[in-house]
Amino acid sequence: MERATTLGTGVRARNSLWAALTYKNRHWLALAYVIVVVASLWAIFPFYWMLLTSVRHESEMYSRDPALWPKSFTLQHYHAALFETSFPRFFANSFIVAASTTAVSVVVGAMAAYALTRLRFAGRPLIARMLVVSYLAPGSVLFIPLFALFVSLRLTNTLHGLALAHLTFTVPFSSWMLIGYFRTIPVELEEAALVDGATRWGALWRVVVPLSAPALVVVAVFSFTLSWNEFLYALVLVQRKEVMTAPVGLTFFQTADLFYWGAIMAASTLMALLPVLLYTLGQRWVISGWTAGAVKH
Amino acid sequence: MSADRVLVQPSPLTLERRARWSILGRDWKLGYVLVLPAVSILMAFIAVPFLTSILLSFQDIRVGGDAVFVGLRNYASLLFGANRARFFNSVWVSFLYTFATVVLKFILGMTLALVLHSAIRGRNFFRALLFLPWSIPAVVSAYCWKWIYDDMRGVLNIELSYFGLIKEPILWTADINLALWSVVAAAVWQGTPFWTMTFLAGLQSIPSELYDAAHIDGAGALQSFFYVTLPSMANVIVVTTLLSTIWTANSLQYIYILTAGGPANSTETFPMLALNLGLRAYDLGMGATVPLMFFPFFAVLIFILTKHMLQQD
Repeated sequence: MERATTLGTGVRARNSLWAALTYKNRHWLALAYVIVVVASLWAIFPFYWMLLTSVRHESEMYSRDPALWPKSFTLQHYHAALFETSFPRFFANSFIVAASTTAVSVVVGAMAAYALTRLRFAGRPLIARMLVVSYLAPGSVLFIPLFALFVSLRLTNTLHGLALAHLTFTVPFSSWMLIGYFRTIPVELEEAALVDGATRWGALWRVVVPLSAPALVVVAVFSFTLSWNEFLYALVLVQRKEVMTAPVGLTFFQTADLFYWGAIMAASTLMALLPVLLYTLGQRWVISGWTAGAVKH
Repeated sequence: MSADRVLVQPSPLTLERRARWSILGRDWKLGYVLVLPAVSILMAFIAVPFLTSILLSFQDIRVGGDAVFVGLRNYASLLFGANRARFFNSVWVSFLYTFATVVLKFILGMTLALVLHSAIRGRNFFRALLFLPWSIPAVVSAYCWKWIYDDMRGVLNIELSYFGLIKEPILWTADINLALWSVVAAAVWQGTPFWTMTFLAGLQSIPSELYDAAHIDGAGALQSFFYVTLPSMANVIVVTTLLSTIWTANSLQYIYILTAGGPANSTETFPMLALNLGLRAYDLGMGATVPLMFFPFFAVLIFILTKHMLQQD
């Protein structure tokens, strides 16, 4: 509850004295401007270069011209990425995997989060602990046994197999974020419904779910991008091109040592579009979700 | 915590039900039904693979071949046998990579958080810009940097030679002494925003009374940073550092795309070694053993982190 209010109003509610200190000392303030401008340029440059490369002519890339702005404009790389490669297929696969992963993990996560924040039953602390541990479990330990298991279960080279593998991080993520959110919903609202004769199940569907609709949307959005961006499992569990997802598909824009940078950057731009949009709109929520428990008061 | 509050109980209960209550808890039926799907998914795709991994590490098993039980031979091969040099190389590279990346992200993240928290204009604008690197898929950022680092056509070498700083192109990702640092730079670029934003949230949650008190006691900006800011942020710092250490050490995208572990294994961290041995050399047993050797270290980090993250309970 504290966390949500802090982050909600945080941007403007600065600590008065810290601000005053930097106000008073003009040297500190000047230094702050220099740092923030340099850092911003550093943060943007790779994006800028990606966009630029995706729209300039191939010939310009060989000219070794030191100019940092484009002298030609073309959409041929986008055309190449979209119509001359399997990239649309990779995109569609990514979308199918991410959408199904998201649907499952939001429902499953909401159920677990509700039980862990509202109900009393034996083993609750243990399950909460298990959830956090699996949220932190490194994929590098799991990818080889998952591959071995998936081979024997005939789940490699299938989209549903990859979606199942993605649940290993989207389910703990969704549950953990929703636990943080459910705690902020006053329990009195449910108590009122229970007094009025609603069952637990009814209270969950009529009171808690409608109240947490915004949180469910946010969790869905971020589960989607986690799955959309995932590389390691997609690389290991899928070898057939027809079921490959976009992150691994990017590695196909090269033949031996020759990279088609225009097309790679065009495809990269298309791939980054959705996550950039979603993260920029919802950065406040995702950061508070990742570190739930760390920032208090 | 809210769940511990006692709710109104409408219906009277029989003695038998009351007894079961006290052991399994008030809401055990609905509780277990609701956690069952999540628990089964975690069991099937995390617990079972983890145990499988231990089993694989005791086997000589090739992709598509039969498994032969070999006891500790995979472990011995990594510690004393044929793979010794390569394994210890990966220990050192993993340490260097993780340590350098985490330290740089810490310093940059703290600096940028303090700057965004200061009295500069346009904080929200800069905040949005500085968050951008975190939002793109890691694969995309790895390719962006691969292109920037390109020997002949990469913008970095072109600019450096244009300004007369270099005569020969620098092999950013192919030079044995440079490759690791090029990968670190890319990883720091993408990972810093996470630190900036958590530190910023931490800074904003410090009550201003603490600064007022420090000011009355005559503290300057630096003193209030070391005696108020840092101690108040201890928990944020611990959680962010541990979380980022786990993510950084286990991430594979930047290394896979920028160098694939080369040149001469100089960037082969342990996930890359596991991938190279397990799936490229088709030796699943060895591939499973490598990450397991590192697991005790991560188990300790996870244990500490779990404690911090469950602190609210």
